[in-house]
Amino acid sequence: MSEQNMSIAIDRHHRGMTLDTEETAIVVKNWNLYYGSKQALQNITMKLPQNRVTAFIGPSGCGKSTLLRCFNRMNDLIDIVSVEGEMLLHGEDMYAKEMDVAALRRRVGMVFQKPNPFPKSIYENVSYGLRLQGINDKNVLDETVEWALKGAGLWEEVKDRLDENALGLSGGQQQRLCIARAIAIKPEVLLLDEPTSALDPISTLAIEELIFELKKDFTILIVTHNMQQAARVSDYTAFMYMGDLIEYTDTDSLFTNPQVKRTEDYISGRYG
Amino acid sequence: MKEWFKKGEHWVWFSASTVSISVVLVIGLLLMISFRGLVHFWPHEVYEYEVKTDNGKIEQVVGELHDTKLKEFQDKSYKDGIKKIPQFLIKVGNRDVYGIDFRWINTAQIVGRQDVLADDVTVIERYEWGNVYGYLALIKQDGKTLATGKAVLPKMQKLVDEGQALNAEINHIEKVVLGGINYDLEQLRLEQKRLEAKGTYTAEIARELAEKRKALNVKFESHQDALKSLYKESKSLGEVTLDIAGGKVIHVPIKSIVRFWQPNNMVMSEKVGFFFDSIGHFLLDEPREANTEGGVFPAIVGTITMVILMAIFVTPMGVIAAIYMSEYAKDGLVLRMVRISINNLAGVPSIVFGIFGLGFFVYIIGGSIDELFYSYALPSPTFGTPALLWASLTMALLTLPVVIVSTQEGLSRIPRALREGGLALGATKSETIMKIVLPMSMPAIMTGLILAVARAAGEVAPLMLVGVVKLAPELPIDLNAPFVHLDRKFMHLGFHIYDVGFQSPNVEASQPLVYATSLLLVLIIVGLNLGAITIRNKLREKYKALDN
Repeated sequence: MSEQNMSIAIDRHHRGMTLDTEETAIVVKNWNLYYGSKQALQNITMKLPQNRVTAFIGPSGCGKSTLLRCFNRMNDLIDIVSVEGEMLLHGEDMYAKEMDVAALRRRVGMVFQKPNPFPKSIYENVSYGLRLQGINDKNVLDETVEWALKGAGLWEEVKDRLDENALGLSGGQQQRLCIARAIAIKPEVLLLDEPTSALDPISTLAIEELIFELKKDFTILIVTHNMQQAARVSDYTAFMYMGDLIEYTDTDSLFTNPQVKRTEDYISGRYG
Repeated sequence: MKEWFKKGEHWVWFSASTVSISVVLVIGLLLMISFRGLVHFWPHEVYEYEVKTDNGKIEQVVGELHDTKLKEFQDKSYKDGIKKIPQFLIKVGNRDVYGIDFRWINTAQIVGRQDVLADDVTVIERYEWGNVYGYLALIKQDGKTLATGKAVLPKMQKLVDEGQALNAEINHIEKVVLGGINYDLEQLRLEQKRLEAKGTYTAEIARELAEKRKALNVKFESHQDALKSLYKESKSLGEVTLDIAGGKVIHVPIKSIVRFWQPNNMVMSEKVGFFFDSIGHFLLDEPREANTEGGVFPAIVGTITMVILMAIFVTPMGVIAAIYMSEYAKDGLVLRMVRISINNLAGVPSIVFGIFGLGFFVYIIGGSIDELFYSYALPSPTFGTPALLWASLTMALLTLPVVIVSTQEGLSRIPRALREGGLALGATKSETIMKIVLPMSMPAIMTGLILAVARAAGEVAPLMLVGVVKLAPELPIDLNAPFVHLDRKFMHLGFHIYDVGFQSPNVEASQPLVYATSLLLVLIIVGLNLGAITIRNKLREKYKALDN
C-alpha cells in the first residue's frame, strides 16, 4: 500500500461509523433470485448507505455479482432468471411494472469486470450516454466529457487525443474510461463489478484512489475478490456465502472483529 | 522413412500438394483466359500462302493464322499407316466476297511462298460484313478517282476520320436526341391512355397533349432533316477499292469503316497503341453482327447495374432478417426450422430461383402491378415481363442466405460485454443494436455482400428467365428520367459469353471474343470484390483491438 493510499485508508475509517446513522440509497427486502429452479440469492435484506462505498466479498459463486446486477436490472437480460422481493431506490420500487428499465440504468451506472469501451473515439465513448438522451449540444458534451474524464482521473492522459480510438488505450486507462463513461450521465449509484481484476497493480491503485474521490458524488457498490481492496476502499462490507448474506457491517468491524465464524474463516484465508 | 511417417510428415506434404494444385489451377485459369483474351486485341500479322487446290490450280490465300491442328491421313508408307499433317486455320475475312471468314488449309498443299508476311496488306474493320484483308488500290469520290497506289493511305486516313466524326454525330442524334424525343412521345401516349382509362381525358387535356406532341414532332422533324443531310454527307465520302486474294476486288464505302491498319508495317509502339485502342473499342462499343464483333458496353452496364441493384435489395433484407433471428427471436423449434431452411436455400440450384422469379415476380407481382397501375397500357406489359427489377430481385433472393448467415455470424461475435456496456448506460435494446452491435458487425456484413456480389455477377441461368436478353435496344440507364429504367430488359456479360460462344453462327470468329469477355467478367467481379474488401479491411482495422 502506498503512503498516500494508507493515509486515505486511515482518513476514511473514522471510527464510530454505523449503518443506522447513514442516509439510505437502496433498500433490499427479502430478495430472492432463481436461475430456473436453482436459487442463487436467498432472502437478502439490507440497506445501502448513500455516498458511501459498500463492498461485497465472498468466495466465487456466492452470488455477489448476481446481487450487484440486480441493482440495475442487468439480470433481466437472462431469460431464465426470476426474482422476488423488494428493491427500492430512494423509496422507488425498482422492479415495478411501470419502471422504465433504460431510465433506471441511467440512474444506476455500472462498470464491468473487463474493460469494455466501444470501438469508437475516446470522446464518443464518454459522450455516448448523453447522446442517447438526445443531448447533442457541443458545449454541453465538451464540458461533460472533460468533467467525467477529470473525475475518472484520465483527463491529463488523454486530453490531446480525444479523437483517437479508445481501444488504443491501456487496460487500466480503458477501465477508467469506462468509469468516466458511467459517471458522465451522472447516475445516483455506481456499480463496480470487480473493476480491477483484469488490471495491473499500478492501474488498480489509480482506480482505488478514484473510488475514494467518487464517493463524494455517488453511492458506490463494489464487488471484489480481493479482501485487501475491500478493506482499503470501502466504508461498509457485506460478506456473502452460497447466496446468503452472512454478515454486513462497517468495514473496520467486519475485518477486525467478525461476528460470524464463517466470515472469520474467509477473511483469515481458511477458504475462498 | 518410418520416422517420417510417424511424425505425420506425409499429411503435411499431402495437404501442401493439394493446396499447390488448387493454386496452380487458379493461376492457370487466369493465365489462360488472360492470354487468349488479350491476344484478341493484339494486331495479328497477315500471311500470304499459295495453295495448290485439289484440281491443280494455284490459289492465293491471305489472312491471319488463328489455329493449327494435326489431321490424320491414311498412308501405307508410314509405320502405323497414318500420316499426320498440320492444318492451318486462316482468317481470310472479306465475307461478302468469299462467303466465309475462316478456312482450313492443308499445309501439304502449300506451294511456293509459305509463311511470308504480305507487304502493305491493309486490314479494314467494318460495321458490317467483318474484316477486309487486301491491298489498297484506289479511292474514289463521286465517281472521280482521288488517289491510287501509295497515295491512297494518307487520303483514306483523312476520310475515315471524317467518317468517324460523322458517325459519332449521327449516333448521338439517333440514340440520344431522337431516342429522348421518342421516349417523351411514348410517355405522352401512355399518359393519354391512362387518362382515357380513368375517364378524365377532357378536350382541354387532349388539346394540351396534342400541342406537346406537335412540339415534339416538330423537334423530331428538324433533327430528322439534320440526320438526313448527315447521312448524305457520310455517303458522299466515297469508297476505297482493294485488291484481294484470288484476283478479286472489293469496294468498301468510307462510312462503313470502323478503323483500318497495316499490321505487317507496324512497329512495336504502334502495335501497343493498337492493342489499347482495341481494348477501348471492346469496352465502349456496341456489339455488332449478332454480338460476334464490336464491343460489350451494354453488357458491362447491364451487369454492373444489376449487381448494384441486387446489393441494394439484399443487404437490408438480409441484415434485418439476421438481426431478428439472432437478437429477438426466441430460440426454439420454429427458429431452428427457419435456420435450416435458410441454409438449405443456399443450396437450391440457381435455375430454380430463375423459375421462381419468373413465376412469382414477373407473372404474379409484375402482372398485378400492371393490372393495378398500368392497366391502360395493356396488353403490352410494363412490369409483367422479364426486366431489370425482377432480375435484381431474383438475384437478391438467391444471395439472401449468404448475407443472412454471415450477418448472424458477425452479430454472434460481438462480445456480450459490449452489449451490456451499452445497456448499462441506459440504452434500450434497439439502441444498443443500432449503435453498437450493428456497426461492429459491418465487416461480417461486408463479407456476406462480397460473396453475394461474386455469386450474382457470375450467375447466368436464372437471369435468362427474368430479364437478360441477347441484344437490348436500350441501356437500363440513360438520360431520360427516371434514369434507371427498372422495367427494361438488359444485357449481361455472363449471358453474352454463352450467347457468343454457343449461339453464334460464326463460332470460330467469336472464340477470342468469348475469352476476352470472360476475362472482363472476371475482372469486373474482382474489381467489385476488391472495392468491398477494401471497405471491409478498413472497418476491421477499426475494430481490430476487439479481438484481443
